[in-house]
Amino acid sequence: MATSTGVVDGALIYILAMSVLLLFLIVFFMIYFAVRYRASRNPVPSELPESPLIEAIWVIVPTLLVTTMFIYGLTGFRFLRSAPANSLVVKVYARQWSWLFEYDNGKKSADLIVPLGKNVRCELISADVIHGFYVPAFRIQQDAVPGLATYAWFNATTMGSYYILCSQYCGRRHSAMIAKLIVVPPDQFEAWRQGKKIEFTGASYANMPAGERLLYERGCVSCHSLEDNKMMGPPFKGLFGSQVVVTTAGVQRTVVADSAYIHKSIVDPGADIVSGFPNTMPPSKDVVSEDEIGRIISYLKGLK
Amino acid sequence: MNASEDAHAAGRLGIWLFISTEIILFGGLFLLYSMYRLKNPADFHAGSLELNRVLGTLNTVILITSSLCVALAIDSLGKGRTRKSAWFVAATIACAFGFLIVKFFEWTAKFHHGLYPNAKVLLSLPKGENLFFGLYYLMTGLHGVHVIVGIGVLSVMLVRVLRGTITPQNPTYLVNSGLYWHLVDIIWIFLFPLFYLIT
Amino acid sequence: MAERETHESDYVPYFLHKGKYPGALGWLLATDHKRIGLLYLACIATFFSVAVIIGVIMRINMLPGHVILTAQQYNAAFTLHGIIMVFLVVIPAVPTIFGNFFLPILIGGRDMIFPRLNLFTWYLFVLGAVLALVSVFFGGGAVDTGWTFYVPFSLKTTVNVPLAVFAVFILGMSSILTGINIVTTVHQLRAPGMGFFRMPLSVWGFYATAWVQILATPIIGITMLLVVMERLFGIGVFDPAKGGDPLLYQHLFWIYSHPAVYIMILPAMGVISDIFPVFSRKNIYGYKMIAFSSLAIASVGSLVWGHHMYVSGQSDTAGIIFSLLTFLVAVPSAIKVFNWLATMYKGSIQVEPPFLYALSFIFLFSIGGLTGLFLGALSPNVQLHNTYFVVAHFHYVIFGGMGFGLAAAVHYWFPKMTGKMYNKPLSVVAWLVVFVGFNIFYFPMFILGWEGMPRRYYDYLPQFATLHQVASIGSFIMVAGLVLVAGNLLRGLVAGARAPANPWGGATLEWTLPSPPGQEDFEEIPVITHGPYEFDKKESGA
Ligand code: HEA
Ligand code: HEA
Ligand code: HEC
Ligand code: CUA
Ligand SMILES: [Cu+2]
Repeated sequence: MATSTGVVDGALIYILAMSVLLLFLIVFFMIYFAVRYRASRNPVPSELPESPLIEAIWVIVPTLLVTTMFIYGLTGFRFLRSAPANSLVVKVYARQWSWLFEYDNGKKSADLIVPLGKNVRCELISADVIHGFYVPAFRIQQDAVPGLATYAWFNATTMGSYYILCSQYCGRRHSAMIAKLIVVPPDQFEAWRQGKKIEFTGASYANMPAGERLLYERGCVSCHSLEDNKMMGPPFKGLFGSQVVVTTAGVQRTVVADSAYIHKSIVDPGADIVSGFPNTMPPSKDVVSEDEIGRIISYLKGLK
Repeated sequence: MNASEDAHAAGRLGIWLFISTEIILFGGLFLLYSMYRLKNPADFHAGSLELNRVLGTLNTVILITSSLCVALAIDSLGKGRTRKSAWFVAATIACAFGFLIVKFFEWTAKFHHGLYPNAKVLLSLPKGENLFFGLYYLMTGLHGVHVIVGIGVLSVMLVRVLRGTITPQNPTYLVNSGLYWHLVDIIWIFLFPLFYLIT
Repeated sequence: MAERETHESDYVPYFLHKGKYPGALGWLLATDHKRIGLLYLACIATFFSVAVIIGVIMRINMLPGHVILTAQQYNAAFTLHGIIMVFLVVIPAVPTIFGNFFLPILIGGRDMIFPRLNLFTWYLFVLGAVLALVSVFFGGGAVDTGWTFYVPFSLKTTVNVPLAVFAVFILGMSSILTGINIVTTVHQLRAPGMGFFRMPLSVWGFYATAWVQILATPIIGITMLLVVMERLFGIGVFDPAKGGDPLLYQHLFWIYSHPAVYIMILPAMGVISDIFPVFSRKNIYGYKMIAFSSLAIASVGSLVWGHHMYVSGQSDTAGIIFSLLTFLVAVPSAIKVFNWLATMYKGSIQVEPPFLYALSFIFLFSIGGLTGLFLGALSPNVQLHNTYFVVAHFHYVIFGGMGFGLAAAVHYWFPKMTGKMYNKPLSVVAWLVVFVGFNIFYFPMFILGWEGMPRRYYDYLPQFATLHQVASIGSFIMVAGLVLVAGNLLRGLVAGARAPANPWGGATLEWTLPSPPGQEDFEEIPVITHGPYEFDKKESGA
């Protein structure tokens, strides 16, 4: 849970209470009238003269009521939309169909690890289409829009692991675009951020070889299977060293998938487009470093 | 009120409603234009310098003339001079063709300079200029489609005036077509300064 | 108005009338507003069935352990379900079916004012529908964008977006022309004595809706055209890579699509306002307030579109203004509900099937509308946006509101349109099944959304399984109810008892005609001397 949880819930519960009351009154009178004035009991209707007073009440009371709801919602919104200046800044890369979090010192992670009780400001960056950064437990949600800087912030108040979901429909694996938000003690967080190897409980991809883990963490597996079935992109099993038919600048040719080719496919995927696949792979310069590409390639070498 | 007056009034109301929908249709585009202009003033300035003001002005004159012609056609019909009215309708149609021909030369010139969507030249220019030309083609293109539809409608009117199914007593169709044509004219009157003049 | 015995001999029901063209042509070239209404009815009923089936397939898929679709198929399924329901069913349904059939009769006119245009709109509608359905099988397959076609996803996805989007454009044109026809008809064809404030409230509903159709639809038209251009030529106005702004697309989309939700509900509210007085045997309470609240909804309602975009990245100030306006537009709806209830007070109430639907309309629409208040409030929306809470909200308002309103209208006017009566006890049973199923189906979705289940999810976290299962079961109950409703109506059509001219004792003009009406609605245009709900004056021969 976070400080925002209570703020949003307050307004929700207020509106819920009002609504239940109103609904109860409406249903009560509806049923009461239908029974009390049924034709067999009240064969002759009597007209109700129009009364300006009643009509004024019907306008004014609801207006006042909704105004209170508006104000309650507004105060919460103000809170959600004003990140304190001293927040820890995390860059959130959203892409089809994975999340990647980058800390101010360049540390990257597939899970959002945050310190307990600190203000965290998530700056949302989309590489392709619109995604929604949504942490239900914290009651925060904000779209990541390509070409637009947006953010969300929170201050976690309980330790634990929570879901980060993608709430804006973004294509085939929208429902699998899930990451974990893990709240840990500040000292552990600091050690982890500085590069110390700590596996937090609830973290997504522990205990994998470095290359494979990168494929998971950086979202490659949402399009590429490590088996040999076709998904959005070509499967990786047996890719290394195989012959691939590609289209380069409109011309078809056959190439051997060696380290150079795979490197180019990751950095500039639009250059050689594998035949039978659309040119939808996002360029991955921002999400994988040279060093990491090397590790991915050596993992792929072994994936026969 | 007799039946034909009724029909006339209904037709008038109908065409005005239709014209408001057309204005809103273009309104969406004008909205886009203003938003993007606000964001990219310099690029829009540069883009507008690429356009040929002489041809733009020529087309403006042509369209205003055509609007006048159609007004005169309605006027002549009202005075019972059917043949004269037919001539004016024909002149309107001629102007419309003239407009399209000028537009055609303008567009081809732009294409030769590589200033069309997705062209390498255009893509190498700043984003704002891409937007400018995107909007330029969209808005003048949609307007062009309206001119073509106008030619069709006016041609039908020409035939009907000549055949005598549009008469001084029953001018509704011609009057309404005239209103539509004024609309086409007015939209251009807005497009012209937005693209060619404001820099 | 006296019964028309004198003309009994040359009276032929409109659907048996031999016009200029024989047989099927007599329908396909019909300019009679009643026939066109039935043409729309046939099409819309078909599309509705298709979309219901798609919906049920989605629900089966959501049963824990019953995955029957691939992710791509599921995405195409909810997109198609949404497109059909919104653009082919709820937006056109009440204005084109009942507006066509009854509007001219209710104001004592001869027909719609532009009968041939009226037929033309039907053809446009069919063309748009066919294009939308055909797009599924061509050029990359069924659209998977959601009914909102958000850019840049809709620019990137490989499926057949251009055709589907173009179909929406065509449907929009049809809708605009229908709107123009209705506004002009109301202005020009009212019978002598039929002042604006003697029009039945359903006519007010059609009239306010028609204005929204005319003024809002062009925006969706141009927006859809832009998406087509973007796909075909890469113009760049919505493509962030070329400087375009995806948020502008959303603004343009909702500038239309929010008013569109009022296109859905206003005519239904109008019909409900006609039904309440009839079954309470009393004048409607606050006629003018109801009429003006329709106009208020139609006008203020066109300024609140940004409440779909609180978390989209639009400016916070914009969000605040949109929230305030959203709350204000809820007030006219509240006024209507209160007026309907007041109409029942000291009435002489007969709960016949149409009234049963009208009463459940109030219940379901209130739940839907009140949950709209949750969504309209800024901070709650941040939690609820794009979750099943929204799905539940709009199924309650659209389906509980507009759908039950439509069902009320069907049960109210069925005897007039067909000359037959359905089986009343059976229709009550069918209503009960639908009503119970509806709530079992959609209510759990509020809880799902509150707990953070996003919409448009092919798959879900295990903690949501139970509620999804309950919802799915509810949907099956509801469909069983729908089959009962439809079966009962069809049976009534074929084998029902003959309906009298005025089975419910209504005081509006349609009940002065025989059931079913003849080819010419009125032999003589009536002269109106009393309001639509003055039941006591009805017999006294106006
Ligand atoms: C028939 C269609 C219809 C109607 C009538 C409404 C009516 C309302 N809607 Fe709804 N709405 C939709 C169809 C409709 N909506 C659809 C389809 C979507 C989703 C689109 C998508 O994303 O796919 C949506 C989404 C939607 C959102 C965006 C949610 C999100 O994505 O984040 C919001 C937010 O403000 C909202 C609010 C409202 C409000 C305040 C009303 C009000 O007008 C309701 C007014 C009614 C009442 C208030 C109830 C009756 C009155 C009483 C019971 C008396 C007491 C009341 C008071 C004291 C006020 N709606
Ligand atoms: C009118 C609008 C309408 C209607 C009627 C329905 C009906 C149904 N809807 Fe809905 N739905 C939408 C409009 C509608 N829907 C829209 C716009 C979306 C959003 C799409 C998107 O995200 O892009 C959506 C999304 C949507 C989802 C969410 C998908 C997701 O986000 O993952 C689901 C999930 O279960 C669903 C299910 C169903 C089911 C099972 C039915 C039906 O099968 C229910 C069965 C219906 C009946 C049994 C009728 C009952 C009978 C009567 C009322 C009386 C009879 C009437 C007459 C005689 C005229 N729909
Ligand atoms: C949105 C889906 C998507 C994501 C995410 C994605 N790819 Fe791809 N990838 C594709 C598609 C589609 C192709 C084939 C078309 C092409 O060559 O551009 C492809 C091609 C490739 C190829 C060439 C394969 C061959 O058979 O020749 C490699 C290597 C590759 N991707 C690696 C990666 C890595 C590493 C990542 C993660 C950092 C990644 N991809 C993320 C969609 C994706
Ligand atoms: Cu990313 Cu949905
Ligand atoms: Cu809305």
